[in-house]
Amino acid sequence: MKQLVNTFLAILIVAFGLMFLASRLNSAQGYSGGNTLTIYNWGDYVDPDLLKQFQEETGITVIYQTFDSNEAMLTKVEQGGTIFDVVIPSDYAIAKMREENLLLPLDHSKLPNLANIDSKFMNLSFDPGNKYSVPYFWGTVGIIFNPDMTKGIDFSSWDSLWDKRLKNNIFLVDGAREVMGMALNSLHYSVNDTKEEHLQEALVKLNKLSPNVKAIVGDEVKMLLANEEAAVGIVWSGDASEIMDDNDKLDFVVPEEGSNKWFDNMVIPRTAGNVEGAHKFINFMLRPEVAAQNAEYVGYSTPNVPALKLLPEDISGDERFYPPAEITDRLEVYDNLGKRMLAHYNELFLMFKMNKK
Amino acid sequence: MKNRRRVKNKNGIANIYLVLVFLVLYAPIFYLMYYSFNSGGTMHKFEGFTLDYYREVVADTRLMIIVINTLVIALLSSAIATIIAVIGALAIHHVRSRRAKNTLLSLNNVLIVSPDVIIGASFLILFTIVGIKLGFTSVLLSHVAFSIPIAVIMILPHLQEMSPTLTDAARDLGATRRDVLTKVILPIIKPGIFSGFFMALTYSLDDFAVTFFVTGNGYSTLSVEIYSRARQGVSLSINALSTLIFLFTILLVIGYYYLNQRKSRPAVQIAEPVAEAGVPR
Repeated sequence: MKQLVNTFLAILIVAFGLMFLASRLNSAQGYSGGNTLTIYNWGDYVDPDLLKQFQEETGITVIYQTFDSNEAMLTKVEQGGTIFDVVIPSDYAIAKMREENLLLPLDHSKLPNLANIDSKFMNLSFDPGNKYSVPYFWGTVGIIFNPDMTKGIDFSSWDSLWDKRLKNNIFLVDGAREVMGMALNSLHYSVNDTKEEHLQEALVKLNKLSPNVKAIVGDEVKMLLANEEAAVGIVWSGDASEIMDDNDKLDFVVPEEGSNKWFDNMVIPRTAGNVEGAHKFINFMLRPEVAAQNAEYVGYSTPNVPALKLLPEDISGDERFYPPAEITDRLEVYDNLGKRMLAHYNELFLMFKMNKK
Repeated sequence: MKNRRRVKNKNGIANIYLVLVFLVLYAPIFYLMYYSFNSGGTMHKFEGFTLDYYREVVADTRLMIIVINTLVIALLSSAIATIIAVIGALAIHHVRSRRAKNTLLSLNNVLIVSPDVIIGASFLILFTIVGIKLGFTSVLLSHVAFSIPIAVIMILPHLQEMSPTLTDAARDLGATRRDVLTKVILPIIKPGIFSGFFMALTYSLDDFAVTFFVTGNGYSTLSVEIYSRARQGVSLSINALSTLIFLFTILLVIGYYYLNQRKSRPAVQIAEPVAEAGVPR
């Protein structure tokens, strides 16, 4: 009995000692101060030095939390158990959040740097008038390939993926919209097509792709491609730039038929505790030097015009990531198709996955 | 002679098999540890020895705070869960009707085998309805909750093995109810209490699914943090951290083993094998 009591007391003492240590560390970091700003972002999607700079300039302590999918983020924000001041979701998630009344309207008078954003990235279908959101990064979906392994196949068209020489050599990203969109694009339909016959046609075409597909994977695709586990992958442009950093043999192309153009935007959720600070942060991120530094760190494309001029030529002149207007005009943003259509897309994608041999 | 050789041979095969199994189990861990010293920065080519990633881990205050959080949660939740489990196990043990006892036990086991994801999601809903802020409290409460059933099934067998005559004798000799509990029952089930505690500790340390749902407000534990970092490809500092934690757990196991050895030396040996009863993961 005595030993039991002693052991448990010892455990308690150790635990409280550790807690004390943690709180000391916390206050040394300034985390426990009153003036904080919680940012909810994708993992590793901001240059940490910029957060430090923001802290020094404003005295607001930044707490950086990460999510790994729009869906996970939505669950947390919807539940409202946590206060997030700035969240950075993708386009369709913003449309959904807007519909569900989860966002605070932005005060544009507090965001003078909004003028830096290229007008073609403003006023898009998921948020007309940018009432709730400010562009953060944008990109495309395209084909990344390893020229050593593909023997000169020209990837400027989606149809090239159906080439017999690519047997068991393609990684697809595990997203219904991306894969269905690719199939629709290859048939010269819109990525937002809802006509049943077009969708069925796309499914038939996808099933023909099966022998070439090695696997349908998530984020690990980056590692797999960099390690040359397969020759070709369908990926987002930002991932492509990261993969190419790891393995410079690879190349990326956005097919001619068109593709998806996506945006990650900054929003302020309704539950925000520090609305003032959130506006300050958004305005800070829109500053040309800041946006440029961030774009260099993250590797995605910035919608910020003066920032683009600050970036080294080999980044801003790279047409794979900053495609010329005639290509971007052909790219489409995912519309919010509504719950039922989305479920249908998922179902078709699932049928394709089950068919895969 | 012939016979003996056959036995030896059989043992040899068994040993080889055992070695193989352990190799398969430990190889990934050693692989990960090996590359934590790689100056190349990736997991596919070893370029040179470096301690940079260990320095990085120690210098990363946020990560250190998360490690401490994880330990605090593990220690506190398993201590609280074990105390509650002792009371629960005693209660189940004292139920007379066989059916009621079996029902209680089954309910307890259902909680162990039910998927973590579902437990986590239900906790998230519960906490938001009740209005508990996500953070330390919510994580602690949910860890206590999922540790209790595990501790209960570690303790119960010891209670069942205890001869009822012991308590009767104690009562006959004039012990009060309290004395019977503190001087007879608890010392006898002590090994069960400790194994329950250590089981709960390991469960709490590595739980991701439940914790993912109930963390918030800048509060995070190691499993959740590593998972969200792993999205970017596992950085070698995660390897370094994993190595440190692996060594730490080995130390814990050695310490536990040593304590047990020392304790069981006295003449009366308390039934130990029960502690190894398998728990479905």
